[in-house]
Amino acid sequence: MSWPSVIAARLRGLLLRGRLERELEDEVRFHLEMQIEDNRKAGMSPAGARYAALRSFGAIAPMKETHRERRAFAFIETVAQDIRYALRTLRKNPAFTIAAVATLAIAIGGNTAMFSVLNAVILQPLPFREPGQLVMLWTEIPGQAAREGRSAYRNIEQWRAQSSSFADIAVADPLSLTLTSPAAAEQISAVRISPNYFSLLGLQPALGRAFSEEEASRRERVALISHRFWQSRFAGSPEAIGASIELDGKPSRIIGILPAKYHFEPFTTDVWEPHTLFPDWEARQGVNGAETWFALGRLKPGVSIEQAQTEMTALARRLDEQAPPSARNRGISLMPLALHVTGPASRTALWMLAGAVFCVLLIAAANVASLSLARSVARGREMAIRVAIGASRTRIARQLLVESLTLGTIAGLLGLAVADAVIRVILALQPAGLVRLNDAALNPQALAWTFVLCLLTGVLVGLAPAITTSPRNPGMRAAGRIRRVLVVAEFAMAIVLLAGAGLFIRSLRAIHNVDPGFRPEHVLSVQLSAPSPRPELFNRILEQIAALPGVESAGIIGDLFIGGNPERVITTEGAATPHSGRLRFRADEISPGFFQTIGTPLRSGRFFNAGDNAAAPRVAIVNEAMARRLWPGLEAIGKRFKPGGEDSSAPWFTVVGVVGDMRRQNLENEPIPQMFEPLAQNPSRLVTLLVRTVLDNPAQMAGAIQSAVHDVEPRTPVYRITALENRVDAGLSQRRFQAALLIGFSAVALLLAAIGIYGLIQYSIVARTRELGIRLAVGAQAGEIFRLIIREGLLLSLTGLGIGLIGAIGATRLAAGLLYGVTSTDPLTFITVSLLLTAVAIAACYVPARRAMRLDPLVALRHE
Amino acid sequence: MKNEQPAKAGVLQGTLTLVVLRTLAALGPLHGYGIARRIEQISEDLLQLNQGTLYPALLRMEQEGWVDAKWGASDNNRKAKFYSITASGRRRLARETKDWRRMSSTIERFLTAGPRSFSDELA
Repeated sequence: MSWPSVIAARLRGLLLRGRLERELEDEVRFHLEMQIEDNRKAGMSPAGARYAALRSFGAIAPMKETHRERRAFAFIETVAQDIRYALRTLRKNPAFTIAAVATLAIAIGGNTAMFSVLNAVILQPLPFREPGQLVMLWTEIPGQAAREGRSAYRNIEQWRAQSSSFADIAVADPLSLTLTSPAAAEQISAVRISPNYFSLLGLQPALGRAFSEEEASRRERVALISHRFWQSRFAGSPEAIGASIELDGKPSRIIGILPAKYHFEPFTTDVWEPHTLFPDWEARQGVNGAETWFALGRLKPGVSIEQAQTEMTALARRLDEQAPPSARNRGISLMPLALHVTGPASRTALWMLAGAVFCVLLIAAANVASLSLARSVARGREMAIRVAIGASRTRIARQLLVESLTLGTIAGLLGLAVADAVIRVILALQPAGLVRLNDAALNPQALAWTFVLCLLTGVLVGLAPAITTSPRNPGMRAAGRIRRVLVVAEFAMAIVLLAGAGLFIRSLRAIHNVDPGFRPEHVLSVQLSAPSPRPELFNRILEQIAALPGVESAGIIGDLFIGGNPERVITTEGAATPHSGRLRFRADEISPGFFQTIGTPLRSGRFFNAGDNAAAPRVAIVNEAMARRLWPGLEAIGKRFKPGGEDSSAPWFTVVGVVGDMRRQNLENEPIPQMFEPLAQNPSRLVTLLVRTVLDNPAQMAGAIQSAVHDVEPRTPVYRITALENRVDAGLSQRRFQAALLIGFSAVALLLAAIGIYGLIQYSIVARTRELGIRLAVGAQAGEIFRLIIREGLLLSLTGLGIGLIGAIGATRLAAGLLYGVTSTDPLTFITVSLLLTAVAIAACYVPARRAMRLDPLVALRHE
Repeated sequence: MKNEQPAKAGVLQGTLTLVVLRTLAALGPLHGYGIARRIEQISEDLLQLNQGTLYPALLRMEQEGWVDAKWGASDNNRKAKFYSITASGRRRLARETKDWRRMSSTIERFLTAGPRSFSDELA
């Protein structure tokens, strides 16, 4: 039994059965006491009077049982009767029924679908032990808006040793590995983790085991694999345990397989390896080593994240004082793992969409309530007859409620089909950033929610007709008033949704109009994984590709897009003395043709050329943001800087060029400082190859480019071949998803509101036909009648508009964080949607108004 | 309660409704005990009513809409449930009365008719 029906049963038991049972007892007691009193008056002894009373009453328990059965039976019987009657009534009015059921089914379906998404992405706890205790720990740099920075291994070790809030802290660093099989080499995602990672999450391998502390410290090449990887590579064979796979050219032994339902948060990957396997492991342990690690902690039971944050802030201050000056100014910020997996913006957006679709349901319910109010007035005769033959007011009210609940239930059942379709569409849109979205399904929780919606809809729809119908007053006037209020409410909610949709469209357009600082059109993006970092290999590949017909130029960069908030210490040679400081910036290796290929302009100095090779002095190109940051107001060309502190052994770079800023995180973020060094001076193995073609769809060149690469070096996996525009666009997918849903919801809302006002105006004209006839007969012009009707419609829609605008200003402020390049009270948007709504309202009133204008006074006067 | 006295008749199935409706129509709102007393008075104690059976019967009549039940104060100012006949109850009473009269007169005719007149009628 599901919980709603349990609650319903309990309620009925408590409210009805308990009361009726007590009443019967009172009645019986009263009866017996009266009888005893009368017997006493007749001269019996107290005991005799009591005995005689009980005897004449007969057996009490069986009587009560009969009474009880009758009650229960009657309840079921009348409800069954009501449902049968409701179905008959609905069948007799197919137009009403189809309109109502269709409207409600769409609304309930949309709500069920949205709930499934919300449930899968946000409401379901993460599939780990006590997920509420899991926390991400970040290094933050106050003042550089970098709250979620990765951390240095030694810092994490210090946190682990010196904090008392955490039961344990694990580290992880995701990377890309080349998997070599006899057939081919390909790139897979992996993550290197500390041995306590799985035990911290509370996860057991489904098969085999996790690696131990000793194995990690001996740097043994062992690996755990995902269920998916196990199925695709080993066809689910248990012999996978102990098998060897070649990762980055070295054999690794598989020791464990993760369970199928593990969602891999926070890292979606196929292979887990010990964190000690990085070739530069020794360097990574130093405090000035790479700050590349993710830290995942489990709070001790009873410790809140706020308490832990307080402790860590104090700890960060202590560590800061011990650190060398250049590495200072670092804080620690904590974030619940769930919030890291699905960020606050995505959450706000989902809740907002759920709220929007709920508004659609309310509008739909208001519409159907309005329809059934009109119908209940028309059913006045039927009600009068039923009252005359003895139906009580509650009986009729119940009948009407049962009717609307039946309507709601039918709509709910159809709504499930709608929900299924909507979920498919949402999954097909596949917006980025919504981890676990694929779990959205019509599961028992979603069905329970549908059931609640059915009840809610039924009550909302049936309430107004039920309360306005009384035996004496068929509720004509009250019904009219309620219908007006409903239409006003519909318009108010519609304008809120429209305003939201308008602001989202404006945001999307603002982002589209942002100059990314490069020209992605016609460019194909290809990931390459070379067997070894040899500059001459890349040169040969670039030459080969540049020679292809249809190719304008080709270039290479380590990684075009920037994830996370990289930051490190940098030392600059200023006007006088060297200066060290922490800077959030990004460094990449590029080939000479890179900027020409991607279309980023040179501001001063020069691009790299073939002369910038391994033998030549180290040179760098920086972007304008970096030049401004390091040498404000000075010419950057010729200046020198080096990564690390003043005592660092890293080489000095001489700036030879300044280029325009590129938005490489996503289009919405201001470009961060970026530096580029020649690929020939710091070769990398995993790179992004960019090819500028003459084609509108550069993906057509995928095959040619792949074979060109393999002609040069067959052991080079080529993957993620896609138009660069698609990659830029992918950053917008969640926004587009939100806007698409919101536009859809508000379009439905607007349509429903239009139907609502049309129905009301149409009905009021029919009800006022005689009045209009009289007006026409005493000389009113057709135009006046037309204006009268339009004025009535406008009054309603403008009232709704006014109320809705106030609500919209409040509602859009909640979503302000989701907007870009537009304020939450953008006047243009508000005016546009107001005009749109008013135009739709006038259009909806136009048809009935025209009809009223053409009334023949003679016919109208005779109208009943 | 098996020790029914031979001189007293049990209430015929189905007639209880008629008796109760008639009582309520004649006397106005009454509580359950009042109805029972009234039935015993009218029948001069010859109609033996197992008083308890009155309550399920009253419930049924209430569900059918023939009687209305309301809580009120009794003569001695105690809380009691008062039953009154409704419009549809009156129609029901009229119909049942008619049915009963037709039935009892038919039976009566059987009981008063002699063998000859019976065969006369057949002839």
